[in-house]
Amino acid sequence: MTEPGKCSRVVRLLIGALVVAVIWCGLFPRLLEVGPVKRHVALMEERRVDPSAMYYTELDRLPLRPAWVDDVLVLWP
Amino acid sequence: MVERSVVAMRKGIHEDVAAVVVGLAAVLLALAVTWAARPVDESGSRQRYPKGWPTPLAATVGVPGSWTDQPLTAFRDQSDRWAVRPILLGMGWVVLVGGLGVLLARRSLLAYLPAAAALVLLACLAYLLAGQKLVKYYNLEYPLWALAVGLFVTNAAGLPRWLAPALLGEFFIKTGLVIFGAEVLVTRLLALGLPGLMTAWIVTPIVLVTTYLLGVHVLKIPSRPLCMTLAADMSVCGVSAAIATGAACRAKKEELSLAIGLSLFFTVIMMVAMPPVIRAMGLDPILGGAWIGGTIDATGAVVAAGESLGKEAGEVAATVKMIQNSMIGLIAFAVAAYWAGWVDRDAGGPRGTLAGEAWRRFPRFILGFLAASLVCSWLHAQGPEQALWVEGATTGFTAKLRGWLFCTGFVCMGLQTDVRELAPLLASGRPVLLYVLGQSLNLALTLAMASLTFGWLFRKVVEP
Repeated sequence: MTEPGKCSRVVRLLIGALVVAVIWCGLFPRLLEVGPVKRHVALMEERRVDPSAMYYTELDRLPLRPAWVDDVLVLWP
Repeated sequence: MVERSVVAMRKGIHEDVAAVVVGLAAVLLALAVTWAARPVDESGSRQRYPKGWPTPLAATVGVPGSWTDQPLTAFRDQSDRWAVRPILLGMGWVVLVGGLGVLLARRSLLAYLPAAAALVLLACLAYLLAGQKLVKYYNLEYPLWALAVGLFVTNAAGLPRWLAPALLGEFFIKTGLVIFGAEVLVTRLLALGLPGLMTAWIVTPIVLVTTYLLGVHVLKIPSRPLCMTLAADMSVCGVSAAIATGAACRAKKEELSLAIGLSLFFTVIMMVAMPPVIRAMGLDPILGGAWIGGTIDATGAVVAAGESLGKEAGEVAATVKMIQNSMIGLIAFAVAAYWAGWVDRDAGGPRGTLAGEAWRRFPRFILGFLAASLVCSWLHAQGPEQALWVEGATTGFTAKLRGWLFCTGFVCMGLQTDVRELAPLLASGRPVLLYVLGQSLNLALTLAMASLTFGWLFRKVVEP
């Protein structure tokens, strides 16, 4: 099997980039308008939650021990 | 990641040592600058500084924000002003870190610099893809897109030869891990006291070890590093745990890519499915929050699913996950020690005294990771001011810097991965089966332990 030429590689790259652009800028914004997706995004924005955080330091609010825990939980019985 | 980087560090100091030197230097810089610019008023007030002291370094490292249908809005701040400078500076940090690695390896900077510039642009593209609102709010994190961008470029157009001098994927990831150590605070373990410890710390090691043994001895998956990486990302905390343990057990690029892909795929499903399932089962939201925190892989997805159940459930879920997060250091160390002492020895490596051979094989960058974690944990425990100092330095600077380093490292991995090598791994179906079986065990054990701790031993928590 012969290696594809430089021209065909560039064409493949451009076609791929076009497909990505159509999905990210066309399809995904439309999906954001679908009922359950819209509600999920609205709830996350209202609660200032970043579901893409990989580690707790990337969250908008650091998860510290909730204040109400001290009232109801014996931490070391 | 068993292969050396394309630019192998043969002449200079060992790659692991270079990663430790550069990584610890970055952590010390963050701590020093944050301390020098510490606030004079209410420096111990968490209400005033909820994410720690502000650090001037925060302005030097930014990532593209979120966007809906206009990608360029990712480069604007919340006040709708252009915010390109911190992003460019963030890319500059990556070029600088890689450049230091190249210098320590006594390689040419001239060949590295143009290649590194192109590489960080690809990393920026990965961040841009991850920032689209739908992608972001369904937890498809940037490592996935960094891998995809690299895979796409190399498989569609071929790997340009001039890019090779900057393909320091392992070095970027190891340095990112050392810097990441500063965020792994062992003091967080006690955030929910005994019930939190029991939910996160008893179940997690059981699931980790059982899943690994299941993969190796029952499903007969030929690659032990793949089994360990899958087990860690599923039982501990997703992508970050996969990166740390994958590096500790020297998983191949394809194996780490597969583990991350599987983790993110199942995370999206669990994030959407668990809240309605918990409601349908009639579980108390706090118990449900603990269950979510102990089972869903990714931190952001845990908070998202927990908040869907309510504010208190969200807080418990996030805190249980944070407790699991803090296990990464110990687990990465244990895995590295196990690999150096047992797995590699069994593979027929040269034999000497057991301890000597294990030490020779032990990945040194794990020591840098642990050192950063222990020093920052100790500082964090000294008092409220020191806690805000460490939190400011990490959330304001090091977290974003290691994000850029991981992202660039994954672009390198994607660029060096032949998509055809992933096919046999996926075709066998066994890694997927291992993930499903391990996660099923995780779900059952975590629910049992959360019910025991939050629902029985400490039931005051869930009583009205």
